[in-house]
Amino acid sequence: MSTQLPPGLQLEKVDERIMTLNVGPQHPGSGHMRIIVQIDGDYIVACDPDPGYVHRGEEKMAEYRNYITNIPHLERPVIHDSCNILYPYVLGAEELLGIEVPERAKYVRVIAAELNRCVYTLYWLAIYGIFLGHSTMFMWPTGDRELFIDLLEKLTGARVTHAYFIPGGVRNDMPANFEDVCLRQVGYFEKRIAEYADVFYDNPILISRTADTGILSRNDAIRLGTTGSVLRASGVDYDVRKKEPYDVYDSMDFETNILKAGDAYARSKVPWLDMMESCRIIRDALSKMPKSGSVRTKLKPNPKGGDTSVYKRVESGRGALGCHIVSRKKPEPYRVKLSVGSFRNLIAMPYLLKGEKLGNMPSVYWSLNYWPVEADR
Amino acid sequence: MSVIAPTFRLSYFLRSILDNVFWIIVLVTLVGIPAIQIVLFYIEMPVIDGELLTPFLALTWLADPSRAVPIIKALMYTDFFRIAVFPGFGLAALLAAGTIFVERKMLAKLQLRVGPFYCGKVEGILQLMGDGLKLISKEIIIPAKADKPIFWLAPVAFVGTAAAFVSLIPVAPGWVVADVDLGVLAVFAVIGFFPIVTILSAWSANSKFPFIGGIRALHQMISFEIPLILSLLGVVMLAGTMSLTGIVESQDFFPWIVFLPVGAIVFFICILAELERIPFDLPEAESEIVAGWLTEFSGMMYGLVQLGTYLKLYAFAALFTVMFLGGWSGPMLWPPFPEEIITDGIQLGPVTATIPGLPILDQAMLNGVLWFLLKTVAVIFFILLPRGVFPRIRIDMLLSLGWYKLIGLSFINIFIALALLYAGVLGPGGMI
Amino acid sequence: MDPLIPTTQPFLEKFPDVTIISDDADRPAILVPKEQILDAAIFAKEMGFDHAESVSGVDYPDENEIEVVYHLGSYTNDAMAKCVLALATRAPREDAPRPGQDSTRLPTLREVFYSVEFHEREIFEMLGVYFEGHPDNRRLLLPEDWADLPPMRKDFAIKGR
Repeated sequence: MSTQLPPGLQLEKVDERIMTLNVGPQHPGSGHMRIIVQIDGDYIVACDPDPGYVHRGEEKMAEYRNYITNIPHLERPVIHDSCNILYPYVLGAEELLGIEVPERAKYVRVIAAELNRCVYTLYWLAIYGIFLGHSTMFMWPTGDRELFIDLLEKLTGARVTHAYFIPGGVRNDMPANFEDVCLRQVGYFEKRIAEYADVFYDNPILISRTADTGILSRNDAIRLGTTGSVLRASGVDYDVRKKEPYDVYDSMDFETNILKAGDAYARSKVPWLDMMESCRIIRDALSKMPKSGSVRTKLKPNPKGGDTSVYKRVESGRGALGCHIVSRKKPEPYRVKLSVGSFRNLIAMPYLLKGEKLGNMPSVYWSLNYWPVEADR
Repeated sequence: MSVIAPTFRLSYFLRSILDNVFWIIVLVTLVGIPAIQIVLFYIEMPVIDGELLTPFLALTWLADPSRAVPIIKALMYTDFFRIAVFPGFGLAALLAAGTIFVERKMLAKLQLRVGPFYCGKVEGILQLMGDGLKLISKEIIIPAKADKPIFWLAPVAFVGTAAAFVSLIPVAPGWVVADVDLGVLAVFAVIGFFPIVTILSAWSANSKFPFIGGIRALHQMISFEIPLILSLLGVVMLAGTMSLTGIVESQDFFPWIVFLPVGAIVFFICILAELERIPFDLPEAESEIVAGWLTEFSGMMYGLVQLGTYLKLYAFAALFTVMFLGGWSGPMLWPPFPEEIITDGIQLGPVTATIPGLPILDQAMLNGVLWFLLKTVAVIFFILLPRGVFPRIRIDMLLSLGWYKLIGLSFINIFIALALLYAGVLGPGGMI
Repeated sequence: MDPLIPTTQPFLEKFPDVTIISDDADRPAILVPKEQILDAAIFAKEMGFDHAESVSGVDYPDENEIEVVYHLGSYTNDAMAKCVLALATRAPREDAPRPGQDSTRLPTLREVFYSVEFHEREIFEMLGVYFEGHPDNRRLLLPEDWADLPPMRKDFAIKGR
């Protein structure tokens, strides 16, 4: 056998003490990815995440479609957070195409984005629950998620893949009674979310399992370039909605939740606290929204961008979501690069899992707020 | 529009049924009945009213139902009935099935959903049957490099061990499959087999996840067996006997949980760990090691392991009842047998049927079974409850819990028992 | 709080070869020759940019170059929180690429910004830019047996398009 291997492949040494576990892709605790874990007894000595099982080439496909037809497929990486993943692309396309957005549309966008953040976070929380063996915490958020899905269905017409944001506003206006229904559902949810603490966050077993595991210090969180809840759980005050407000986030009344501990417990708690802030933002936006007006600017057919590039970012459920669009005076973007929070947080996984116990793998892994499908794009 | 069976004809369907009926009749008459006749020569049949029970005598109950009662009574006191039906495997399996159903419905209610709902019209009562049929119809896949004989043997051995455990449990006065003088020791001996079966099945699968799961199960079971055994010693000291029946009889006035609550708590936690139930289901932690030592089991092999698990659950709950809750003892709740049925017979319109031999079971036994089942079901309920409330804990936390806290607590329990014994309050020759 | 952070001017003073693409206060963009990219990155880190948000590669077949754009941001410096510096550099492009063995190479910035590790692995498999000094130049998203062109190059066409 020749020793010359093609690039990308390598031979591995087999150690007698070390057992290599392929966690995934057909594994209930891996998501759509493979984590190659090497364990010595119960301790992980090395961890190599291997994403790519759901790589769909969204960025390549975006080079062949024009700015409008890109919308329905670019939301595919995270269908649970489809408004937020479209947001930077839409903002970038607006800047490239030179489109103004009506004031009312900006508020509708903020409401839809926050509703979607709750949908995603509840789904994530459900899976975090079942990863820790807490089946009630799987069922409750999955059920409560229906509240927001119903609201979004009312607003956009689709339950998960909304394709709601378009350059120049949103696709359609709110239905007439949306505000009442939304306030009622959000009010119910705010009562409900407090109950999560009783069953999950204040649970002594949960705290003893997740506290002080997978600690990401503040300096490491910055050095590894993590983002979103992972960053804020390590004590870094950074939320794109606050630091670089887009649309009408600068006029919204909300707090950034920062925890200092940097362990898996803090990382699992920040998105839960963020959901409460989302509810505040939704209430605030509904009250401040202009009651009438257009929600979209009419576009020219097949608009062309300039000869420039933009980099726009928003705060999604998994952290800062950047979109780098290179335009070359064509109806199609020359290059679309989505810099997603999951992919940025992935780098922390081998760093955090090294030296942990095997039993901590699910809690640390899913506390990274990592969505394999989004990371693969 | 799709059709499930496009070539379906009712006539073919009826013909296939008639075919089956025909062959069944042929086989029964030509093979079955002669085989029974041959077998009967070698079986010692009971004597009823001075007459040996022959098939002809057994079939006379078709003509005179009143003759059935002595036959049923005679059969009920055979060993086979005790092992297979009551209080052995049949009762345990029935309770296990009920446990699975109740677990699913209760968990569903806890989690704001409905649980099994459609199968069987009434609240999904036949769901379990459907699941069982599905498991039976699944292909059994054996890993290519598995140690096949042991891998095949493991589920059977698991059910066998669980059934052996069940056989030691006294359900009512005199109603126990194996009334061993050293019943508690026998229980410890049988419990000791579970880790062996588990590690054998895990190792023989020759796969990584079952291996890790098996090692975890081994750690867990062995480290929790010690506090489990120690926590029962207090009861043994106070009761002055190791026979389970004797222990129940020692609790006529009060159950031992009144005086030994620490032991009961330790024993309950050890039950959860031995049963691999949440929060101690590490050997089956699906987000870490797929399904632990059950990963490679498929089809009915998995079904057997599940059956064994729930038999074990029943047996442990029953053991808790026997040791701490007083087994069958309790106030008389069962109504007395109506005397007029014996004296006057049952009147159905113009016909009056007098059935000699009634009642089949006496009131004390039925009351005992009722109390035993009530207590056992309550314990099972408390075993199921943590599943809706707790996440799973980690193996190192589990081991430190088992080795430091529970063993310490069970020694405290023994000291309490000894203090009560030497103070002359309880125990053989005590005040109460 | 400093209202405006001069991000592009110091680069021009230190590295005369850089091209300033955009002088926007929030989104400055500069193009650095590949020989100086490592020094420029160290300089950017000294200015306060502490992490890389995104690394995107753009293929320019007509200019026979592949551009790699590092978007650098700052968590620690509050005045620069809005600012994302696009630090671009270009590698020569080969018409018949042999990833890892041809001249399409760049020095890695992983020693400066740890957060580019996975991004650079992605650029290597997607565009064939080999990062010299990167500790782990394996495939990340693509399957191990991918034997075609690096797929984000413009000459790799989607079927039917």
